[in-house]
Amino acid sequence: MTVESTVQEKATRSAAPRVRRISGVILGWVGFLGIWVFVSNVVLDQYTLPGPLKVWNEMWKLISSGEFINDFTSSITKTFLGFGLAVLLGVPVGYLMGRSRYWKSFFHDGVVAAGSIPGLTYAVMALVIFGTGFRGPIVAVGFVALPFIALSVAEGMEGVDRNLIRMSTAFHRSERQILRSVTFPSILPYVFAGVRLAFAIAWKVEALTEVFGSSDGVGFQIRFAFQSFSITRVLAWTLLFIAFMLLIERALAIIERRAFRWRTWEHA
Amino acid sequence: MTAASAPTKTRTSGGSRIMRWLRSDWGARITFYLAVLVGWQLLSMAVDRFPGPWETMDFLIREMFGLSHGGVVTGQFWKHLIVTIFRFSVGLSVAFVVGVTLGVLLGLSSFFRSLLNDLMLVFLALPAVIWAFLTVMWFGLGWEAPVYTVILSATPFIAVNVAQGVRAISPDLHLMSDAFGVPRRDRIRHLILPAVTGYLFTGLRFGFIVGWNAVLLAEWFGAAEGVGWRSRFWYDAARYRGFLGWVLVFIGFIVLVDTLVLRPLQRRAFRWRAPAADNVEVGLPDIEHDDRIPAAI
Repeated sequence: MTVESTVQEKATRSAAPRVRRISGVILGWVGFLGIWVFVSNVVLDQYTLPGPLKVWNEMWKLISSGEFINDFTSSITKTFLGFGLAVLLGVPVGYLMGRSRYWKSFFHDGVVAAGSIPGLTYAVMALVIFGTGFRGPIVAVGFVALPFIALSVAEGMEGVDRNLIRMSTAFHRSERQILRSVTFPSILPYVFAGVRLAFAIAWKVEALTEVFGSSDGVGFQIRFAFQSFSITRVLAWTLLFIAFMLLIERALAIIERRAFRWRTWEHA
Repeated sequence: MTAASAPTKTRTSGGSRIMRWLRSDWGARITFYLAVLVGWQLLSMAVDRFPGPWETMDFLIREMFGLSHGGVVTGQFWKHLIVTIFRFSVGLSVAFVVGVTLGVLLGLSSFFRSLLNDLMLVFLALPAVIWAFLTVMWFGLGWEAPVYTVILSATPFIAVNVAQGVRAISPDLHLMSDAFGVPRRDRIRHLILPAVTGYLFTGLRFGFIVGWNAVLLAEWFGAAEGVGWRSRFWYDAARYRGFLGWVLVFIGFIVLVDTLVLRPLQRRAFRWRAPAADNVEVGLPDIEHDDRIPAAI
């Protein structure tokens, strides 16, 4: 009886903030769309800032005509290939940085500086070196994502339990066995966190590289819309792209939570 | 292979003095810079269009001192740099004021957070080039597009960091201050300010890096002067050494400001934090969480 009532009490108590939160979210969106409609109709005009409805119609047209799928597939393929390149190069760099003082000092400045370099640099340099092919975006993504992955791996290496390694050596485990059963499982979550962080940046660089020089992809379409002075199309392509990328990021986050559920006790 | 066995191996103090210096932290750093220089030279030899370090340096010196680039075109440097830095500072100041205000509101009120959370996600995800395109289409070629691009892209990054700082203040400390009747002035001085300043500097640093990228993009697509415009001028003329020279200026500016001003400030503001003890070897150049970098794109 008492237990039930407290449970119920708890439920009603937590229901109130939940209602408040949901109403907040709804109010936020409604307010945002309201301001958008107001600005596009009253302050400016539909040509300077097309209203949400106009942009939505354009987005729907892009999806239903299959135009979006084509360019999006091209962009996402390049992003993932570039990403593969970054993991391939970044994991060894991070491993070295986490393992030895020499390599840590060696790569430190480069890795830290690489993250603050303007994205424009990567995009145009890729264009100068590779021209307007598919290689430019891939290499640009690889270079942008590399430091994030390397830093995460290095951080993970520092988090490896030294006592476990000491114990393993005391029991005469080989270097390979230690690597496989101790080091690798404990840095994997960090690698994944780095991958997720890097992904958020990688697709932006990919799009930027396409903006500067490409013959397909979402970035190319945004550039094309800009040059034909169609604000509606710029907004439509951008919002679609952002929506899909945020969905992929969300999916990565969920996979991450599932895969590393076993180690949550450590964060708690 | 040497790296893999490093932790168990005892450091050998043998070898000549040069070898020992080469293995020191500074030796490693300088080796890295030399490797970058060599890599650049090799790249320029492999790719025709890509200029080498010496050509680029030669260009940069001509540009800086207003010398001839082989013809009637002479160097222009300080004029563009000053214009851009001016636009950048105006934009960043506005972004900082707006971002901090938003961040404090977001940190204090959970209702406000639920109101703006989704929007913040979208705005953080918007690449700066989109703002550059929109502002160029709205305002044309002038000072407005770069300034507004900086404001629009840097504000969310600043707000999110400040909000994080306000939220990081432990509610227990507030409770304890209540229980012991700590006067408001002391509370602000010893509880809120130290907790928030660090995040304020992190926010400023992120805003700086993101805003610098934004101003360059906006000037590239819509301006008649400024470093972004000048680098595009050389790019369009297919004089890639000019473009690359300016890229060195972009990178040099942000890396210098970051290492000499922003990161030391941030570290100083966070010095009250206990260092993460466990596995840290003393004296290694630390890869801290605060070295983390925003998506400057």
